[in-house]
Order: sequence, then C-alpha cells, then structure tokens
Amino acid sequence: MKEKFARWDILFLQYLKRDWKKIIVWVLGLGLFSAAYVPAFEEIAKGNGLLGMYETMQNPAMISMVGTTPVDTASDYTLGAMYAQEMLLFCGLFAMVIAVLHMVGHTRKEEDLGLMELVRSFQIGRQANSLAATIEIVFINVLLALFIAGIMMSFGTDTISAEGSFLFGASVGMSGIIGAGIALFMAQIMSTSSGATGSALGIIGLLYIVRAGTDVSNVDLSMINPLGWTYLTYPFTENNWFLLILATIFSVIVVIIAFALEEARDMGAGYLPEREGRESAKKSLLSVRGLLIKINKGVIIGWLIAFVIMGAAYGSIYGDMQTFLESNEMMQQMFTQSGVSIEESFTSTIMMVMIGLVSILPIAIVNKLFSEERSLHLSQLYATKVSRSQLYWTSIILATFAGVIGVLLAAVGLGGTAISVMGDSRSMDIFDFLAAGYNFLPSVLFFTSLAALALGWAPKLGKVVYVYLAYSFLLNYFGGILDLPEWFSKTAIQSWIPQMPMEEFDAPIFITITVISISLMVIGYLGYNRRDMNEGA
Amino acid sequence: MTKIIEVQGLQKKFGKFQALSDVTFTVDAGEVVGFIGPNGAGKSTTIRTLLGIIKRDAGNVEIFGKDVWKDSLEIHKRISYVPGDVSLWGSLTGGEIIDLFIKLHGGGDKQKRDYLIRRFELDPKKKAKGYSKGNRQKVGLIAALSVDSDLYIFDEPTSGLDPLMEAVFQEEVEKIKKSGKAILLSSHILSEVERLADKVVIIRQGEIVETGTLDELRHLTRSTVTIATEGDVAKMATVNGVFDFKQKDNQATFSADNQYLNDILMEASKLGVRKFESIPPTLEDLFMRHYEG
Repeated sequence: MKEKFARWDILFLQYLKRDWKKIIVWVLGLGLFSAAYVPAFEEIAKGNGLLGMYETMQNPAMISMVGTTPVDTASDYTLGAMYAQEMLLFCGLFAMVIAVLHMVGHTRKEEDLGLMELVRSFQIGRQANSLAATIEIVFINVLLALFIAGIMMSFGTDTISAEGSFLFGASVGMSGIIGAGIALFMAQIMSTSSGATGSALGIIGLLYIVRAGTDVSNVDLSMINPLGWTYLTYPFTENNWFLLILATIFSVIVVIIAFALEEARDMGAGYLPEREGRESAKKSLLSVRGLLIKINKGVIIGWLIAFVIMGAAYGSIYGDMQTFLESNEMMQQMFTQSGVSIEESFTSTIMMVMIGLVSILPIAIVNKLFSEERSLHLSQLYATKVSRSQLYWTSIILATFAGVIGVLLAAVGLGGTAISVMGDSRSMDIFDFLAAGYNFLPSVLFFTSLAALALGWAPKLGKVVYVYLAYSFLLNYFGGILDLPEWFSKTAIQSWIPQMPMEEFDAPIFITITVISISLMVIGYLGYNRRDMNEGA
Repeated sequence: MTKIIEVQGLQKKFGKFQALSDVTFTVDAGEVVGFIGPNGAGKSTTIRTLLGIIKRDAGNVEIFGKDVWKDSLEIHKRISYVPGDVSLWGSLTGGEIIDLFIKLHGGGDKQKRDYLIRRFELDPKKKAKGYSKGNRQKVGLIAALSVDSDLYIFDEPTSGLDPLMEAVFQEEVEKIKKSGKAILLSSHILSEVERLADKVVIIRQGEIVETGTLDELRHLTRSTVTIATEGDVAKMATVNGVFDFKQKDNQATFSADNQYLNDILMEASKLGVRKFESIPPTLEDLFMRHYEG
C-alpha cells in the first residue's frame, strides 16, 4: 500500500509549485464569480424586486436552467434564497468543469505525453501521481470554499448568514471534488486524454440536463443525481448539510474505484477494447476533406448528440407550462397583456442559449487545424501538393456545415419534443422552431469567423474565442435577470439579433452579420496564407 | 549539371532570434548532399524554408528554378519529405496514414508501398498511437519513398531506427541515388552521411561554415599518422606540419597537415621506416572541428 503511493507528497508539492498561478486565478476568479454578486442582487431585491423575482423564478423554464428553491411563498423569498437559487448551480458547474480539465491534465494527459513514464522511473509509487493530483484538487476546492464563504459574509447582508455562506462555499467546493472524481474515473476508462475530458464533461452535461427535467417535474428525483447534492443544499434557507455528506461519500467511492481501476491496468492503456485497424485506407479518407472529417469525427458526433439531447430536455418542459400558468394569476396576466404566449417567450430565450452552445462546435473545428499544426501532424503534408488554401477553407466549410447541422438538430430536438408533449394545445409548429433556430445562424457564423481570424493572424488566440463565447453566453443567460444597460448587453453578438418567435425577423441584421462573418473569414485566410507555420521551431 | 536546390544568402529571424544569418549552398541533380551541424544550428529551419512552411526574411531560395515560397505547390509535386519528428494521428493506422500521404502527394506505387512495408517490417494495421518513435519514422519514410520524386529531403530520417533498419534505409537511398535523383540528407549519423553523401554542407549558428566534397574537406584537415623507425623517432617532432606529437619507444603518433605530407615522408625515410600508417580524417573529425571551433 505504502509502496503504491510512495513519495506522493513530493509530486504534490511539485504540483503546487507548478500550478500556483493557475490556482490563484482559479480561486480568485471562480470565488469572486460565486460570491461577489451580492451587491448586484441587493439592487434587484429593492422595493418589490424580490416579489417579482419570486414569480419569475417559478417559471419552469427558469427552474430548468438555474435550479429550484424550497421557498413556497413569495414573502419568504429572501435575498439569500434568491442568490442561492440563481447562482449556486452555475457556480458548482463551473467548479466541476475546471476540476475535470485540471484532473485529466495532471493524469491522463501526462500519461499521453510520456511524462508519466519518466516520473515512474524514479522512486515514485505507481499511483502517487493520481493521489497527488486528487489531493491538490481537494486542497484547491477547500480553499475556494473558504474564500467564497469569507467574501459572502464580508458584505454583512442580513439574510446571508454565516452558516449559509459556509454551506454555499462548501457546495461549490464539493462540486469541484465530484467533478475531479468523475474525471479521475474516466481517465482510467478511456485511453486518451481527449476521450477522458470529453466523456467526463459529457457525464456532467447529462446530469445537468436530467436535473433540468426532474427539477421541473419532481424535485425528489433530483436528489438521486450527484449534481443535486450540491445545489439542493439550499443555503440560507434549509441549510441541508446532509447532502454534502452524501456527496463526500460518493466522491470517495468514485475515487477508490478509479484507483482500483488504475492499479489493474497498464500505463497508457484504457479499459475500452483496442481494435485492430485497417491495413490500407478507405477511399473516403484520402483527401484533405476526408482527413479533416476523420480527425474531427469524435467531436462532431459527440456534440451533435448533445445538441439533440439538450433540445429534447428543454422541449419536455413545454408540457408543464400551461399548468404552471393556470396556477399563477399574475404571470397569466403578464403574458395575456404582452400578447406573446409563454411557449413563444420560452422558445425565444432558450433558443438563444442553445445556439450559443451550438457555436462551440465550429470553433472547436477551426481551432483543431492549429492544434494539428502545432503537434506536427501536418509537417509531411505541407510538402505535398496540398495547399494552405485547401487546408483553411476545408476547415472553415466543415465548421460552418457542422454549425448548420447543429442548429438543425437543436431546433428539431426542442421543437419535436415540445410539440409531442404539448399535444393538441400546441400553438407552434416545427417551422416556428426551425425559424427561431436559424434566425441565430449569423451568430454561429460570427463565432466561427472569429476563430478563423485567429487561425490566420494570431493562432494562439484561438482559445480566446471560447472566452468571448462564454462571456456572450453568460450575458444572454443572466441578461433577463439582471437589468443591464443596452450598450453592455450589445457586446454579445446574439443581442443584436431579434429573438424569434417573440420578435420579428430582421433581414438587414441577418445579412449584415453574415457578410461581416464571411469577410472576417477571408481576412483570416489572407493571414493564414502568408504566416509561418508554427511547429515549435 | 542542373541545379536542383539553390540557396543564396538565406536569412530568417524568429522575433529577435536570428535563426539563419547566411545560408548558401546548392544541390545538383544526381547528388546526395549531407547537411550537418549541431542541434539548433538551423538545419530544420533551412529545410522548412525550402518547403515553404516558413517564409524567409531575405535571400534567394529556389528549387527546380522556382521560388520556394511563391511556387511551393509546383515544387511539391516533384519532392518527397520526411520530417525529423514524424508525428501521426493516433486514431489512424500506419497503413491508412501511408495511403493518405501518398494520395495527397499525388499518387504513388501500390506495389512499392507494400514492398517497403515488408522491407521495413512495419505492422500497418496498428493504430499510430501504439507506434514507437522508430515505427513512426518508418511510416514517414515509406510514404516518402513510395512516390516518385526528383528531390528527396530527409531531416534526421533514421533517428529511432535500429541499425538493421538504418541499413535498409541506406540501401533504398542508394537506389534513388543511382536513378539520378537529388537528395538533401540532414543527419547526425556521420557514418551514414559518409557512406551516402557526395558533398557535405556544415552549418553552425545559422551560417554555412564549410561546403565541399568529402575529399576536398579532408584535404583541409590533418591525417593521423603512426610511424615506427630504426633511428630516433623524436626527430620527427620538429618537422614542418607535424602536430600533437606523442612518442612511445621508437614509435610515434602525430597529426599531419596533408599539404606537408611529402616533407614528412622525406624526413621519415632518412630514419629508416619500419611502419607507416596514415588514417584520413573521418567526417567526425571534421565535424568536431567545427563544433568546437
């Protein structure tokens, strides 16, 4: 036993030394994101704000996105209750995603890169690295939890109690630990780091979507969801510490299983069987297009399935909307006055959110060309008759095509499910959903073109496009809740596009953004055609 | 002779770092040119410039009389290249990758491909992530050798190959050489360059410090002479052109300037030669002289 983990402490200290900058950004960034919005929420809560917000948050659409609250009368809806409902699930998700990336980065990735081989040749135990990485992540999340609690308490708001603050922080930290556990587990199952990251994030996405359904239909079912053990702790209201114990037990079990799996496998191997490959290539592979499709296939298929499931999950909510409206007179009046049905209003919002997520896929495909370049995969191809223009435009067209299909699948997933659960009472047909989806196509093109621009002129900035996407996404997601000034929300590209079917289609905007996007792609090409290929030389 | 590669005053900067400051050399048809130099001297940078992967800052660089940046695609139709570090897609098999490279080059000989796979003893059904460094290198070599080209550029082609496979590579290169193709061979394995190359280009810190046939270069340096005489061998120490003189009994070893070889022989014959051995400088000696110099 001792031998297996020999000198893990050296690796652990090494990791802290290597990662200290990352840890600071991680704790500060996520900590402030989780805790520092208290003053903003105080603004919202002024006057009748809490009352109105309570009604808004009763909407199944909102619950499906941000989670539930145990409060059942508007007068009990405190600032703390609102903060926990709107923020906790999201902060937990972020903590999970970062933990997954970090965990895989220190385990499977090091194995892929051959670093682990070197490390193991020293007097280091076989599993010392996994233990060191696990302890590092637990340490960071404990730090994060305390930091969040400290900041929240420092605002001195009445309903943000000390106990609640600690629970809020602990719930976010716990989410990170759960995420790390899932990642460590998948790192044993899959035989590559990208496979481990993808599957771990996929599991988290699935848990999120499942809880969107169960939160609306029956909250008790969300209790059997590991993700539920974080945000259902209800800080500032019920203070359910018990769920964190469940989450701890779950994490410990997952990590123990992962260690057992790691012990039983060879280094560099996974548990999914390795098939013997083809002796010679299929015709379909033998072109630039064939090659690019092949190397992007996993990502494309994975995301397209995710889009359908996501659409279907949100679509399943449509059945409950009328029931919700019947029980709530105030909301009923609101919708009657505005002349827009609740379904249309929800479609408008959720479509913007979904198409934002669809944009990830084309960005990933465009960025892939640079990561291929950097990893020297293309060196030998540059010396063939394959031109830069072929590599560039094939990538861009493939990305655009994937975006178009992504929009289709998300819209059909949403619309198809919505129509089937609404039954006879439906007010929209599938074309309304498709129109609402493709209305946002220019935004997908815009993100694709930003990635293309980066590829051509400053390929290292390709990842920054994700940051802008995340920023726009959050702005859209919370834009409805926070009352943002017009110019501020317009910094997200989607905000320029009217939200169908609630608003009218705007042809000039649609064409303008499309033309700008295509121009950016052409400008990116000019850069790509003349820059040095980056081969780490 | 027709010039295949012509490099004139090539310069390249990466940021502030001057990677190439003055690179000039030529490769003629039917010629194997060994391109040698220490790590970081600019070998790969020069080759990447030749391939149009990076853009030169100054100088004139042509292959087949065409500009390597502007007419890169025209040039690429007639060349084969193997990078020093062959990096492959882990999810594809060696066989698939070879087929892909051949196809993207513009088509090659299926029989040649199968023949080379057998010669290099590569398992083409294995996924590339399972290949060792040597096996990845084989994939690159097989793909490059399966197509018909007029110029072959090899950047450290045998790194990671076992000596048996190195020999296979050398045989294949000799075949290409016999059919009159030009080859630029960057290598650290000097015995390989010595065996294959007609001409050697030595680069150091971004500059070409020596060019010429091996014979020409040898002439510039000293041979190692071992001599045993009847008379007092110590007298040899003062002869012109003798350096590093070491004596043991009446036998001595020293390095001799090739241009004074005649004087040295004349002096030695006066002492009554019992034994005379002269070993020409190896490429390694030449190389070391430039490494250290």
